[in-house]
Amino acid sequence: MDTRRDDVGISIRSALLDKGTKQKFSLIALVIISIILIVVEKIETKPLNIFRSFFEDVIYRSSIVIASPSKGIENFSSFIKGHLNLYRNYNELKKENDQLKNNISKENFLELENSQLRKLIDEQVISNNNLLSARVMLDKQSPYLNSYIINSGSNKNIKNGMAVLDGKNFIGRIVDVNFFSSRVLLISDLNSKIPVLIEPSASHAILNGRGSKEATLEYLPKKHTVKDGDTVYTSGKGGIFSPGIPIGKVKIVEKAFSVILFSDLDQVTFINIDLGNTKKNN
Amino acid sequence: MAYSGKQIKYKFFELLPVLLLFFISLNGNSIIDLKFFSINIHYILVYFWVLRQPDTLGYSFIFLSGVISDVVFGFPLGVNALSLLIIASVAAYVRVVTVRITLINDWISFIPALLLANFVYFSSLYFSDYSVDYLYLFKNSIFTFIFYPILWIIFRAILNFGKY
Repeated sequence: MDTRRDDVGISIRSALLDKGTKQKFSLIALVIISIILIVVEKIETKPLNIFRSFFEDVIYRSSIVIASPSKGIENFSSFIKGHLNLYRNYNELKKENDQLKNNISKENFLELENSQLRKLIDEQVISNNNLLSARVMLDKQSPYLNSYIINSGSNKNIKNGMAVLDGKNFIGRIVDVNFFSSRVLLISDLNSKIPVLIEPSASHAILNGRGSKEATLEYLPKKHTVKDGDTVYTSGKGGIFSPGIPIGKVKIVEKAFSVILFSDLDQVTFINIDLGNTKKNN
Repeated sequence: MAYSGKQIKYKFFELLPVLLLFFISLNGNSIIDLKFFSINIHYILVYFWVLRQPDTLGYSFIFLSGVISDVVFGFPLGVNALSLLIIASVAAYVRVVTVRITLINDWISFIPALLLANFVYFSSLYFSDYSVDYLYLFKNSIFTFIFYPILWIIFRAILNFGKY
């Protein structure tokens, strides 16, 4: 019995401590370094952050180079698919165009009425949006994290928590800022929880990512009147994001409230970052 | 010193696992995500080469590749590196205690490697306040295990091709 236990001990020792002929480090040494790294990740100090930013910037740039051939193939296949769908899209767009033409006349009237009403209540209409455009360098929608890497960082005044828009639609927030790059946590990610407002019922809820293209509404009030097709906006609660940024439409499937996003997260190339009032403060 | 064709071929196949390892981590393809299932090719690659040809795939390369994966996926540094090193540790242990190389031996010993690595992975993410789809990871582990023999055959072919 003791001999067997000794054998196991010797085998474990040999596997973990022996470096072999060509190995520079033993396994146990690297395991310890990994654990130290995980612990150090929790520590926020300036020199560490600078090192982290530099390291991440270098890896992102290398990743772009490595990913370029597969990205090229992906672009080419979507180009071919796009051409194949051209005729169908043309018919759909034609129909949509006719519908929009009808709507425009209605909207013009509403706009006129709106401006008259605003004048009436003396409201100052000033846009507070201070947007910065950036390009998506890497699109890492893994099963674990749905995120983008963008080509702007602290050099452009970007800070953690800022809202990220695709056109006018909310798609995520900044979670990691380096010197020349930042990571955007998409609204579809499991870790994403955004306070939202649902119109026209004016119900507040939390939009929870599910790791797929749709997100779910949680913490709705008990007696809510949310219906299929209602529009979801950021609520601005907690002061993290500006209120009223459109996100998507409600879809009710088997009593579950999911939200179909206005933006197709697979097709985003350029994004806008809501800098809030940072420029004005500077 | 001029290299002969055979030497170049040998060198290429010797470097192939390292190149694959870094390509996978930099490209963010450590998990092949298909419609109904997904496979963690990173785990299989590390397990196979540490088990069969440990001198080709250095532990420091495995560590570095794990750190790169962490940065690419946005995880805390060290999480992927640690789970890959756990896979490598089990493979190194199995290499010490086994004499005969068979697919069945390798395949069965891959189970504790997967279990341990995923346990470490879950625990490190749990303490880092990251939400993970555990059902997805469970399915991923099952399919990684199921697909091990296919990749074993491919990697073994690469290994033999480099030798002769």
